[in-house]
Amino acid sequence: MTMLLELNNIYKWVTQGGNRIFLLKDINLKVEEGEFISIMGPSGAGKSTLLNVIGMLDNFQEGEYNFLDESVDKMKEKNRSKLYKEYIGFVFQAYHLIDELTVYENIETPLLYKNVKSSERKALVADILDRFNIVGKKDLFPSQLSGGQQQLVGVARALVAKPKLILADEPTGNLNSKQSEEIMQLFKELNQEGVTIIQATHSETNAAYGSRTLNLLDGGRIEI
Amino acid sequence: MISNYFKIAWRNIRANKLFTVLNIAGLAIGLCVCIVLFSFVNTELSFDKMYSNSENIYRVNMETSEEYDFETWATMPNSVGPAMSEDIPQVKKMTRLIKDDFGATASLKIGDNNFTENNLYLADSTVFEMFDFKFIAGNSKNVFSKPKSIVLSQSAKARLFGEQEAMGRLITVNNRDTLQVSGVYVDLPKNSVLDCAMVYNIMDSWMGTNVYWSNASYETYVQLHPDTNVAVVEKQATALIDKYVDKEGQYFTKFFLQPLTKIHLYSADVREGYSTKLGNITTIKSLLFLSLLVLFIACINYMNLATANSRKRSKSIGMNKVLGANRRQMLSLFYVETGILVLISIIIAFGISFLALPLFKSITGNEINYTDLLATPILIGMLAIWLFVTIIAGSYPAFSMSSISPLVLVNKSKKKGSVSEFVRKGLVVFQFAASIVLLIAVTIILQQMSFMKNKNLGYDPNGIIAISVKSAENKQQVQNLMNALEKEPTIKSISATQAMPGSNESGRSVRKLSTDSNGLPIASCRTEGNIVETLKLKLLAGNELPQTIATGDSIIYTLINEKILSYLNYKNPEEAVGKIINTELGDRAIISGVVENFNFNSLKEDIGGYMYYKANDAPEGIRTLLVRYNTKNLPQFLGQLQKNFNDNLPNTAFDYQFVDKHVAQLYASEEKTASTATIFSALAIFIACLGLFGLAAFTAEQRTKEIGVRKVLGATVIGITQLLSKDFLKLVLVAFVIAAPFAYWLMNKWLLDFTYRIEINWWVFALAGVSAILIALLTVSFQAIKAAIANPVKSLRTE
Repeated sequence: MTMLLELNNIYKWVTQGGNRIFLLKDINLKVEEGEFISIMGPSGAGKSTLLNVIGMLDNFQEGEYNFLDESVDKMKEKNRSKLYKEYIGFVFQAYHLIDELTVYENIETPLLYKNVKSSERKALVADILDRFNIVGKKDLFPSQLSGGQQQLVGVARALVAKPKLILADEPTGNLNSKQSEEIMQLFKELNQEGVTIIQATHSETNAAYGSRTLNLLDGGRIEI
Repeated sequence: MISNYFKIAWRNIRANKLFTVLNIAGLAIGLCVCIVLFSFVNTELSFDKMYSNSENIYRVNMETSEEYDFETWATMPNSVGPAMSEDIPQVKKMTRLIKDDFGATASLKIGDNNFTENNLYLADSTVFEMFDFKFIAGNSKNVFSKPKSIVLSQSAKARLFGEQEAMGRLITVNNRDTLQVSGVYVDLPKNSVLDCAMVYNIMDSWMGTNVYWSNASYETYVQLHPDTNVAVVEKQATALIDKYVDKEGQYFTKFFLQPLTKIHLYSADVREGYSTKLGNITTIKSLLFLSLLVLFIACINYMNLATANSRKRSKSIGMNKVLGANRRQMLSLFYVETGILVLISIIIAFGISFLALPLFKSITGNEINYTDLLATPILIGMLAIWLFVTIIAGSYPAFSMSSISPLVLVNKSKKKGSVSEFVRKGLVVFQFAASIVLLIAVTIILQQMSFMKNKNLGYDPNGIIAISVKSAENKQQVQNLMNALEKEPTIKSISATQAMPGSNESGRSVRKLSTDSNGLPIASCRTEGNIVETLKLKLLAGNELPQTIATGDSIIYTLINEKILSYLNYKNPEEAVGKIINTELGDRAIISGVVENFNFNSLKEDIGGYMYYKANDAPEGIRTLLVRYNTKNLPQFLGQLQKNFNDNLPNTAFDYQFVDKHVAQLYASEEKTASTATIFSALAIFIACLGLFGLAAFTAEQRTKEIGVRKVLGATVIGITQLLSKDFLKLVLVAFVIAAPFAYWLMNKWLLDFTYRIEINWWVFALAGVSAILIALLTVSFQAIKAAIANPVKSLRTE
């Protein structure tokens, strides 16, 4: 199994009134391809922050971050965004679909930004719609879908560019138990197909779907 | 990818209706103003370029000597043209151009019908070639081959003859000359300074045959050979003065050549030309500046509303970035959005401008055709404007929004508030400052106009009608008419004169000693008596001019104004009465009376010397009856006058003018300035309010949660309204502080043009400031009250 990413001695803080408040304190993490990791912890522990750092959306003050053996922290912004465009898909708690676009167009968006050709885009989107059984809904707008359906579209969007890694921040936080189960089941299938998944969650049930659990304590430290 | 931008841009535009409508409204108004004004400016700049020899045609202007204040005149003696033609080889062709009777209205008689004509000209036969006259009847080469011929424009022909044949018909001008129609030409282009409705040969008149170096009344145009050095020709022309004129007669010192294409816009300082189709380059520049200002204010609106809207869209923008959008792609998206909005605004603006054309005409007096609006330069200009506005208005929002980080999705964005807030506030301040300057300017302009209309002129122009009798067949007819009118109860007094004040007087000079070489230039006007009564002049000493003079009396009786009095160094008016006055009228001119200075010219000028005189064998004729009336029933009064006129002058056209209207016309261009300024301020303020309205809406939305919390804690509706309005009012105050000094400086400069002007009062500024605050309050309070009465439960509900 190849090493997908590696975090070494990551520190992230903010200064407030002269004091340093640590969001992440001495994080060390190795993730191999094909893993399904659940990050758990109380509110404010830093789960979302950690995911953002892994997803290259946020930066840190100290430490090293290697993704596929390349040093991310030393990369230029341009290369970094190329990297996460290529390999990482994000799923949010609040879905964050673009309200002005249809389901089809929402899913298509990441492909547009990768300059994928029109015919290829059509094929990829059709595939995903089919897989998630939402072909009939492709021309609807997010406001016309239920919460579970919207999250489904969010996951589809994250997947359409065939990423190696999916980062999910409380993906079932706004869903009822039945919808949650469906989503988590989906994640399991994807993981079995080879997609690495790192999820941040409160729920023990959800965490159980993963192969490994990380407990994040207050102040951003990992409990060993 | 581009089509995707269009799709997203279109959807965003539809989703944010308030923002879209406000933006389109503001931009469309600004663009409409630009379209109309660009068409106008396009026409103005195109004057006189259509002639085949336009590049080589020049009007000769001359600079006068110190005696006449070094003024530049467009008219000169009738000898200048022929002299230049003979002595300067580079002059290929030449024509003189002069209005019949030095510009007074001509009376035409055709068969039994009488007509008046304002644009009857005399010219050399070369005028037809030089200015490409196209004849539809007759041939330009021989229309003047027969003596006493006259050619008509198509419109003139239609007016005089209707559908009948005009060729060969006879027209009697001013009951003196009978001319035969020898040609009809296509109307001269609208955008040419030449406005000849009819032309007859200058050589058929003493004006062409008696050639001398005084009497500067003739416009002179020359066509030079191509590639001629103009400066050299000017020098050669100036050299002719010393060659032909002795020093005493040299009241002009230099000749200049003004290119034909520049006459229309660059003749503000050139006096005495005959054309009525003159514009002004300063006006053009001001109008262009104002229209760009209004457009700029609309662009600022867009910037403000767009960035205010960015909060709503920040999540969507952040998401796009997570999905892989780079900055350039986001920039393109926003530019496309702006581009579409601006395009829609341009289309709407064209629509509005078609409707605005009649309004434009009524304000400025200039006519623009529908087709002018679609001229190629305008369309190209609008394309450029489209790009320009998209970039100017769109850049700030595009750059600001595309830099939004994806971290907004987890509410971790940095509070960028401070910088963009400051810029936004700065933009609002600019908009309001510009509007306040315009408000102050309009108030002061209107004040000045009102002052000029109501100022005591030293005589009373209201209630006087001036009837032209210059084309009477003989003096008896005029006397009969006066006798008939004196019997009318509606008429209080009649004065027979050479001219009404300010038009067609003669230019003479008054000297302190008869041996003086230079004197005071004055305007002199012949009259038959009781001018003081008719004009209600104020007599300071002495008497009215005598009602009757004995037949053999060779004394010239004069009435002088204070300006002449002080020039002659009399200590008081009584001292001057009965003294001899040295003027070209002869050595037996004495002062009968002294009147207070009166404004016979526009209030923009100083009062010069003025003299009324009465004498036997006077050099000038009686051409106008000034009739003071006291009736309110004008239509009936006019009907009576006309009947009396026709009874006594059967072969003369009845031509009249109300003196107060004539005076009002002197300020026609200032009236236009006033109307234009008013319209522009209204537009600017309206657009600024649109922007403020939108901003207030967004601020209220932004603070929904805060307002909800405050209400729960006990704030009143009034309290919250005050809270929201306070910030905006502060901005308006800052705008006022910036605007007031600038406006003061600007209006001071404008007022200096007027010799008679108002003082700038402090209350004008207070009025403008208070108005701006009230307008802002009104605009903002709607949103503020709406936010203040919202239910806190709704606003505090978490997502």
